[in-house]
Amino acid sequence: MDAKVDHVLIVDDDREIRELVGNYLKKNGLRTTLAADGRQMRAFLDTAHVDLIVLDIMMPGDDGLVLCRELRAGKHRATPVLMLTARDDETDRIIGLEMGADDYLVKPFAARELLARINAVLRRTRMLPPNLVVSEQARLLGFGSWRLDTTARHLLDEQGTVVALSGAEYRMLRVFLDHPQRVLSREQLLNLTQGREADLFDRSIDLLISRLRQRLLDDARHPAYIKTVRSEGYVFSFPVQLLESPS
Amino acid sequence: MRRWLPWPRTLAARLSFILLASLLLAQGLSFALQTYERYNSAKSLMLSNFEHDIDTSVAILDRLPAAERAGWLSRLERPTYRYQLGAGLAGNPMTADHEPMSVKSIKATVGARYPVTFETIEEAPPHYQAHLRLSDGQPLTIDVRPSIMPLSPWLPLLLAAQLAVLVAATWLAVRTAIRPLARLAQAVESLDPNHHSAPLEERGPTEVAHAARAFNAMQERIATYVKERVQLLAAISHDLQTPITRMKLRVEFMDDSAEKDKLWSDLTEIQHLVKEGVAFARSTEPSREPAIRMQLDAFLESLVFDYLDTGKAVKLSAASELLITSRPQALRRLLTNLIDNALKFAGEAQVQVQQQPGGRLAIQVLDRGPGVPEEALADVLKPFYRLESSRNRDTGGTGLGLAIASQLAASLGGLLRVSNREGGGLCAEVELPAPTSHQYGVPPAR
Repeated sequence: MDAKVDHVLIVDDDREIRELVGNYLKKNGLRTTLAADGRQMRAFLDTAHVDLIVLDIMMPGDDGLVLCRELRAGKHRATPVLMLTARDDETDRIIGLEMGADDYLVKPFAARELLARINAVLRRTRMLPPNLVVSEQARLLGFGSWRLDTTARHLLDEQGTVVALSGAEYRMLRVFLDHPQRVLSREQLLNLTQGREADLFDRSIDLLISRLRQRLLDDARHPAYIKTVRSEGYVFSFPVQLLESPS
Repeated sequence: MRRWLPWPRTLAARLSFILLASLLLAQGLSFALQTYERYNSAKSLMLSNFEHDIDTSVAILDRLPAAERAGWLSRLERPTYRYQLGAGLAGNPMTADHEPMSVKSIKATVGARYPVTFETIEEAPPHYQAHLRLSDGQPLTIDVRPSIMPLSPWLPLLLAAQLAVLVAATWLAVRTAIRPLARLAQAVESLDPNHHSAPLEERGPTEVAHAARAFNAMQERIATYVKERVQLLAAISHDLQTPITRMKLRVEFMDDSAEKDKLWSDLTEIQHLVKEGVAFARSTEPSREPAIRMQLDAFLESLVFDYLDTGKAVKLSAASELLITSRPQALRRLLTNLIDNALKFAGEAQVQVQQQPGGRLAIQVLDRGPGVPEEALADVLKPFYRLESSRNRDTGGTGLGLAIASQLAASLGGLLRVSNREGGGLCAEVELPAPTSHQYGVPPAR
């Protein structure tokens, strides 16, 4: 076992669910603390450090969205949050991500999936030195003649026309935008791009790069956005601007 | 009973017929009656004048000295009769059954004092002459040319004007009666309980306003029922999610066994059913998602790549280079349902885009699976319909996937059609409104 055991705080108003989740995570090597509502969550966060918070959206009193926004505004803005939602609805996902959640999971979920997501989020946050995460809070990122909507997860061209991205393409682009003008190796890219569907992602990085270049109308032989660095990897050559709202 | 003319089919024609026929009849009757009355009174007045005049004239001529009579003749002349001194023209003796009214008048007045003979003269126009001898023996002939009083020239015009007024009034009346009915029928036809339609105007005549109010109330009730149904479904499924979550978590603590796997798949099935139920209920609700302009190719590729990345055999053929304006989440869900369906039955799916002659866009999801029996094609889009052969939920699913897709297609202003393919397999085609434009191109950044 690692010297440092990750500490997860589970906030859910349903006693059985939070105990079952807690037990499962504990069985799988995590330290867990349970909280029934926002009051208990705040009380615990004041006294101890946690590595990740699992937050249910539907709760009496302050709901998960309110709590998430509160976390993001306060001193726990760096603590990753994984939302549990009862509604499999795009708008809920978008609101959750807008409030600053790192990932979300729809109820009913399998405990092993929750565990996989927790590990993925933890790995992702570990991989990124804090100063590199530029895009975390911005709803809209601008680069070159493109803008990326990070909640709807699609590109906008200069005319405001939407260019959709597949899940893998989006994750890859986000990695580049989080690390602009910095050479990333294939291995790094593979690690960073592995989202919650870690086991499902088996396409080669090169194929994904070529798809992304096609999306950005980037000429593969003389790419402007994603440049190949021989025997090292790839570099995103444009600076990234954080835009507040879509224009 | 034999019908000479088919009874008109439209209410407008029937009403017009009844109104116009009865008004024409009434108008005709009153016109005829009036004409008859006038004719009679005019005739009797004329005859009494005639009698009086002819009596006086003959008396004057009788008293005048024979030499002066000729000088008076022109003064006694009238448009329809005049006096001649002499035996007059030769004609046929008048038979009793052809006597005009004036003959009787002459007989009644002049005939009382002189013997009078009547002869009809066969000339054009035909007329008759009355012959008598004055008291001094001089023959006198009264030449009578009966003529009908000429009709006033404005009378036919008046009649035509009346007819025109009748027709116009009938048209107005029929229109007043039919228009609200047509509007109501149109409103009922366009009634869609899933989307809020504009209420009918509650104006106009009392009955029409009443009907409109009744219709609006009905529309509202239907909307309320639909909304309640959706809320009920949403509430049930939401409340089910917590116990299902608990059960799934508990199952994960069980030791591995066949029982555990069965329980797990049962729970997954319940969860799927609940999810689809909510999705179906939601698909009938008006969406809040805004429509955006997007590249169709990128949209479809992102969808297909997501399938490819999870190891599913989904093919996308042909680039269309079209820009469409649509609601991406709804369209994504719709196509996902169709592709999932194809994958379930055929293990593979092919997506292709076609532009139809009318400019509309067709996105087709094709497979080479077993297809659907022709007689069931219309039913597969209905909620909870499952093919008998696939009742088993392992392959049959919830029976909601295509129903949701169909609802979503309608909410996008389109239409979902399902047909069997030549050579086997199913073709699910989403017809969407015409694309925004045919070309796009963003210059590479430099």
